[in-house]
Amino acid sequence: MMQDIENDIRNLVAEIIEKDPSEIKSDARFVEDLGVDSMMALEILAGVEKKYKIAIPEEKLADFKTLDSIVVIAREYLSKNA
Amino acid sequence: MLNYEDIIKILPQRYPFLMIDRVLELEPGKRVVAVKNVSFNEEFFSGHFPGEPIMPGVLIIEAMAQAAIVLFYSGEKAAAKKTKYYLGSVKVRFLHPVIPGDQLKITIEPIKVISAAAIVKAIGAVGDKEVAAGEISFMAKAA
Repeated sequence: MMQDIENDIRNLVAEIIEKDPSEIKSDARFVEDLGVDSMMALEILAGVEKKYKIAIPEEKLADFKTLDSIVVIAREYLSKNA
Repeated sequence: MLNYEDIIKILPQRYPFLMIDRVLELEPGKRVVAVKNVSFNEEFFSGHFPGEPIMPGVLIIEAMAQAAIVLFYSGEKAAAKKTKYYLGSVKVRFLHPVIPGDQLKITIEPIKVISAAAIVKAIGAVGDKEVAAGEISFMAKAA
């Protein structure tokens, strides 16, 4: 299950930033390493919200720095819903 | 309902780039239905295309984007007067041509709206027929 979330979010990010999932290492920095801009980050946030039916507050957007960090945030809000 | 006088208070665009004429429905932050009357007098029809006038898809996107600004502005985080809007990404499929005499009706609903940006669902229709549909994301920056 833990692994599933990471892979699902990796695929979601890959589609939005138009890169191959294999390029998105779990600790690759979005801005510096992957060229993610703020608009893409918002699309990722909206995508994660839709996929897991959770609501992530706007302030968390600043913490969307790596795949790892999104997985942590997604789990946090998933557990709040449970 | 908003008429052109209300619309130009919200949109930074001006002639010849005002792509909505009227807002029929406005539920702040939830839904906007706007209309663009497509006349044969539009300058772009002389070149797009000679003898076969079709409204350019990019201008349908522009009409959607302008209706989306109205939605964004109407939310609780009302934009400052001199806000500039920048398109981030566009995923729109065109289903039927829009031709002179058509009334293009655009419906915008939010997917995700934050203080300085939004992703919206946009549908363009002429009568009962859907002519374009997709998603638009944009950023707002106060000048």
